[in-house]
Amino acid sequence: MNGPGSPYPPRDSAIVRRFLAHLAESELATTRCVSCGHTTFPPKHLCPRCWATELEWVVLTGEGCLASFTELHVVPGLFATEAPYVLGVVDLDEGVRCLARVMGCFDELSCGQRLALDFERSAAQSYLVFDVTDAP
Amino acid sequence: VDTPSRVGHDVAIVSSAVVPVGRYHDELEHEMLLRPFVEAWGAIELDRSEIGAVVLANPRPYAAQRYFATFITAYLGLPVDGVVVEVLGNGMTGGLALDAAADQIRLGRARAALVLGVSRETHVPSAEHMDLVMRSVGDVDFHTPLGVTPVAWYALNATRYLSDYGYTRTDLAAIAVKNRMHASLNPIAQYGAPLTIEEVLDARPVARPLHLYDVPPRSDGAVAMVLAEATLAEQIVAQPVHLVGRGFHHEGVHQIADVPASLTRYIAAERAAEIAYADAGIGPDQIDVAEVYAPCTVVEAILSESLGLFREGEGLRAATRGETSLGGRIPISTDGGCLSRGHPPMVTPLYNVHEARLQLCGQADQRQVHDAEIALTTCELGDYNAALVHVLATRRRGEAGGGNGWRLASADPHT
Repeated sequence: MNGPGSPYPPRDSAIVRRFLAHLAESELATTRCVSCGHTTFPPKHLCPRCWATELEWVVLTGEGCLASFTELHVVPGLFATEAPYVLGVVDLDEGVRCLARVMGCFDELSCGQRLALDFERSAAQSYLVFDVTDAP
Repeated sequence: VDTPSRVGHDVAIVSSAVVPVGRYHDELEHEMLLRPFVEAWGAIELDRSEIGAVVLANPRPYAAQRYFATFITAYLGLPVDGVVVEVLGNGMTGGLALDAAADQIRLGRARAALVLGVSRETHVPSAEHMDLVMRSVGDVDFHTPLGVTPVAWYALNATRYLSDYGYTRTDLAAIAVKNRMHASLNPIAQYGAPLTIEEVLDARPVARPLHLYDVPPRSDGAVAMVLAEATLAEQIVAQPVHLVGRGFHHEGVHQIADVPASLTRYIAAERAAEIAYADAGIGPDQIDVAEVYAPCTVVEAILSESLGLFREGEGLRAATRGETSLGGRIPISTDGGCLSRGHPPMVTPLYNVHEARLQLCGQADQRQVHDAEIALTTCELGDYNAALVHVLATRRRGEAGGGNGWRLASADPHT
């Protein structure tokens, strides 16, 4: 499954490689602190809550709610051919917040709507893409 | 909030000048900056040997001259004992420059200090400029690949604010129209032609629900300011503007929290304002005029709540009722704000302080807020993830009196 990818892809690093490897396996993964249990997104080498450095990778469901959204028309030059596109703040069911692309029209979206990660698109693009679901 | 501990000397602004906000394609950064410097310095009588600090707001990366602070200090032929430095904090840069210069005076390293800033970027095409700034407003590995922009974050605030409180784009437009009206009275504003609600609504979308007039224009600008220890300031000028309160807060977040949090409150601004009010010994009801860093219509609405001027969810309603217009209960952005005065980001906070100084000196002409004695300024970075708030006044802390009955706290809150 090959997509065009992001015109500004994430840099190559151990964390990014691991994150993308999980996405390729249709898993949304991030890090959780072994000591205090705080889950962070993006994945990190250090727990921002307790500064412990022992973190483990955990797999999240990839489902959550749309906290807010915008449709971008004026965009960076690198993204010119993609505009307009929708960005959303997504609150995952595990209590993790992330920024993502949302498939859908601005006028048909609403705050609080249920979303699910589109694994195929996300893996192809190297960033999170969510679809609106009918689930309550 | 505990009253912040206060050490050292009191500080006042004795002079400031700006260039009209606009597009400067035929002048280089130092040429732009010399104009307000000559005007600000020419307005006072002070021996240049009193200047113990030169603090420069870091220019945009497009400035060919790097390490601009030492370059401009050499251009002025100015030996300095305290410090020569440039500071950077994204949209907060100008405010941090004011802070850093004031600190040199507080610490006794300088009796007077220069605060200088120039922000020049309109010679670079917008799309190219956004290729740079998208890397400032997010995690380059997990946000930038999405194609995020600075305005996108404020648009995310806007969608949720409109949704939660039942407002519409028409309500937001009131702030754009109000700020344009203010700018029409300001000779240094970038855009002063009248603007209607309909024009705001019909403009092309930028980051929905924000359209062209909900977001700032691209702008160049330059500011020069002279600060002095308060007693010296009182000898130099008839109307020094005293820095009587200061508050800062960074919420430990870069654009977006990793756990669900409110998108319709600016927590850093709430906290920084609390600290600044406590430092000045006043409450929000004693502010006569607020010059805020609000790049978008929705930011001014939310921020007016964060600063304690209106209750949560009421900021936009107050704006639609004219309470934040000149002549209203608490005028906000009397110079036209980021939206119409213009927004040269690295020095926008200094333009705000300049307007606050004019208001407190009674020099704001048709924009004058009657008997303004206490002004508030803000600046920020991120999506107001960090905020810096200053309270400025016509008198020092501890000096009683005043037409509207305010009294600043004594220097020692326990006496």
